[in-house]
Amino acid sequence: MFEFCLHVLTLACIYGLIALALNLQAGYTGLLNFGHIAFVGIGAYAVGIGHLAGWALLPSLIAGVLAAMALAWLVARLGRNLASDYWGIATLAVAEIVRIIALNQDSLTGGAQGISALPGLFAGASNAHQNLYTTLLLMVLTALFAVLSVRLANSRFGRALRLLREQPQLASCLGYDLLQLKSRALMASAALAALGGALLASYTSYVSADYLLAAQTFLVWSMVMIGGLGSVRGVLLGALLVQCAYSFVPFAKDYLNIGSDVAGALRIGLVGVILLVCLLWRSGGLLPERLRVMP
Amino acid sequence: MLQFLLDTLARTADLALIALGLSLVYGLAKFPNVAHVQYAMLGAFVAVALQRSGCPLPLAMVASCLAMGCLAVLLHIGVFRRLLRSGPAIAMIGSLALSMIIGALVLGFAGSSPLSYRLPIEAPLSLGEAMLARSQLLSMLTTLVLLVLFAIVLFKTRLGRSMRALACNAPLAAAAGLNADGITYWVNFMSGALAGLGGSLLAMNTSAYTNLGSDLLLPIFAAAILGGLGNPLGAVLGALLIALTETLVTNLNIGWLYGQAMAFIPVGYIGAASFLMLLLALIFRPYGLFDREVRRV
Amino acid sequence: MSPRHLVTPLFTGLALTLLAFQASAVTLGAVLPLTGSSASIGDDQRRGIELAIADINAKGGVLGEPLKVTIEDSGDGATGALDAATKLNTVNKVPVVLGEYSSSVSIPLGQYLVKQGLVHLNIGSSSPAIRKIGATSYSLIGLDDLSAQFAAKDVLGMGYRKIAFIAPNGAYGQGIYEQFKKYIEAGGGSVVAQVLYTPGQSSYRRELQQMQRSQPDVFVYSAYGQEAAVINRESFDLGIAKTPWYGIYLSMCTTDTPAQIANGQLGMEVASLGPAGKAFASEYQKKYGFAMKSSYSSYAYDGVMLAAAAIDQAKSADPSKIAAAIKSLGGTFDGATGTLALDADGQRTEQPYDKLVYKNGALQPRS
Repeated sequence: MFEFCLHVLTLACIYGLIALALNLQAGYTGLLNFGHIAFVGIGAYAVGIGHLAGWALLPSLIAGVLAAMALAWLVARLGRNLASDYWGIATLAVAEIVRIIALNQDSLTGGAQGISALPGLFAGASNAHQNLYTTLLLMVLTALFAVLSVRLANSRFGRALRLLREQPQLASCLGYDLLQLKSRALMASAALAALGGALLASYTSYVSADYLLAAQTFLVWSMVMIGGLGSVRGVLLGALLVQCAYSFVPFAKDYLNIGSDVAGALRIGLVGVILLVCLLWRSGGLLPERLRVMP
Repeated sequence: MLQFLLDTLARTADLALIALGLSLVYGLAKFPNVAHVQYAMLGAFVAVALQRSGCPLPLAMVASCLAMGCLAVLLHIGVFRRLLRSGPAIAMIGSLALSMIIGALVLGFAGSSPLSYRLPIEAPLSLGEAMLARSQLLSMLTTLVLLVLFAIVLFKTRLGRSMRALACNAPLAAAAGLNADGITYWVNFMSGALAGLGGSLLAMNTSAYTNLGSDLLLPIFAAAILGGLGNPLGAVLGALLIALTETLVTNLNIGWLYGQAMAFIPVGYIGAASFLMLLLALIFRPYGLFDREVRRV
Repeated sequence: MSPRHLVTPLFTGLALTLLAFQASAVTLGAVLPLTGSSASIGDDQRRGIELAIADINAKGGVLGEPLKVTIEDSGDGATGALDAATKLNTVNKVPVVLGEYSSSVSIPLGQYLVKQGLVHLNIGSSSPAIRKIGATSYSLIGLDDLSAQFAAKDVLGMGYRKIAFIAPNGAYGQGIYEQFKKYIEAGGGSVVAQVLYTPGQSSYRRELQQMQRSQPDVFVYSAYGQEAAVINRESFDLGIAKTPWYGIYLSMCTTDTPAQIANGQLGMEVASLGPAGKAFASEYQKKYGFAMKSSYSSYAYDGVMLAAAAIDQAKSADPSKIAAAIKSLGGTFDGATGTLALDADGQRTEQPYDKLVYKNGALQPRS
């Protein structure tokens, strides 16, 4: 059971990183990005393709981060003229295009079968130690980026982003270049998301186009919204909660002796109910962002 | 050429009603309701179940429309109204959770195998070289009739005017004396009914199955955005454009590029093609192709 | 109310679930796609497993104890499958895990299991890449090279030379297309049109039109029940059904298609018409009230049977002993899908298939 909890914690940390990245875009800057998973997928595939090409983990990671940042820059330029809802669907379209390319380019990405047998982190250690070290590393990374996120939020850049979110016209009047702000926020977010994706690929030793499905973006969004958009603690709590929901709900089937014919439906249904109850109970998120309200 | 046209129209008819319903509620509630496609799935199951137990087909479809309309209203009152108070993003995630629950319920009760109408197999109609199935014809005609009816309601009736006013500027419309709540219920009812009808028509070709809704999600959203939010009929034209792109990509013979008699773009890229078209359209028309949203100057 | 208040109920729930765990003497694990686009296949695999459990327990169980199989949902994805596998390994402590259907899930699943020292029984994926999963991974299902070779020989043997091929664009479709094309071209035929369609569309008319333009002698297809029904219906509507249609795994392709439309289709299927296969088919019909939806149920059945036989032979539930027993049972195990003969990589060296034709609402043998 302890190892299972470690596994859940590791996944929660990985998704926590991805959620922190989304928080940067959606929470601080107010950008509704429904194609966030594209950055994650690029990071993951970078590790996979790098492995096939014989690269070590670190160079592949850096390549992935750079590629994701390039895509982010493109997407930011796309958002120059688009209102938020339209931009959201446009980013979804971009993510889908990336997924379809990954699915069909057999030679590069392994097609639908993906790239398997990727070396994990700490490949030399024994199984149990490997899991433990991976979990510890991820907890350290998550804590590090959480702190960085908070520092960013309190920095001048962070304040400018929040101004952009609340009053874009005022920000423009004050001399901020909105497009540049958005670009920088997106690129930073993409870098973190790509890191998360690379870690996901290393931990699962696998990457495939399934990692780029729209459903994955919605998963990360649900983590961010349930936890509290705009607040780092909220987002991490949301990631932990949603990951626990997905991982522990199957125990309900064992505990209640539910027949296997409805086990699958029960799992999805229970997770949906948990998410909905969280949202209805605390619509602003469990740990909402604390905004300073001027009297 | 005629077959090409018929295939495009058939695919448009598959998407049109559901996209219309989504755009309708999107324009009013201002959040993407991911559960909308599940109304189509559920409507398909209701219609098929009724028809299989002896109900005549038109009656089964009407019953499914009414049921879905009522469900949409109930869910709006029970879930979305509350979530919308905290913003559209929360409402969207709520609709996602709801869509999971609906999917799980249907999977649990109906199982994973598809369920189809008990209809006799009829030979297709042939128009010259092109062939058309009777169910396709029914689907296209029903869609057309409903679109005309809807256009009449939207532009020629008081309810339609109120709907448009509410979508443009809700506080002002309410201040001007419109019954915002009542109109919202009507809009939700109509969108649910349209989705249910779209699903039941679709099930004539694809059978009712649990992933019917989620499979449609991306094309429906693309169609709604392409047409412009706040423009329900634009969504139908968006659906037409998507169908056109898809049919074109699969039928375009690029053999001349490779010096072969026949070569085609791999069919797996069909989705990428329509999304690329969406992106290009948005670059040139940032508010959708048929933008009728009123924005502050 | 602070989130700290969530922690207590969460841990209480966890403690309760731990208490609820009784160590059954022999518990196996299975990871199946119970939700998602492959749910109909996952369901069929589940039914096969349930049948096997019933049969084994009726005969007294395994090592004198009743057999239990904990079936987990993979959610049709690698992360879900790994979640399920981690639970089965670290919490339920099963020695053997069966699964999954899609190669894109079975491969990461199998690799995790092999790394943890468990036995992996592949009951549904047929991509040649399965071969490389690892030492303790065994396949009940013949890989694509076997099925494609048989199908290609069958199709060419009937005199068809210009072949149009359609399958879903996923791990299964991509895998079988590669192998099928190889064997067709080696046998002197040519694939004049190939379509790996995007699954989940409302219609495939455009794809069918594209293939029709190349004027093939025969359409070879393989698809899950619901999509196959759409393809069959639309090919009927477009008049394409007049050209012969050949289905790989014909039972899966025709299970949801109306009989009138599927009538006359040719195809191949896993040999389930031998004595063991016949017994399985009639048992399935008796228990569930309808005919086998696909041959995946029989592979899943064989998987559980093999695991039980191996545990009985090894007289222990230790994974390494079970693996050794499976290797030794390899050539003599008779399952519903035929005699199992495992090669050095743990894959089937041969898989008996049947040539079939769909007539009068059922699959009949074809000479």
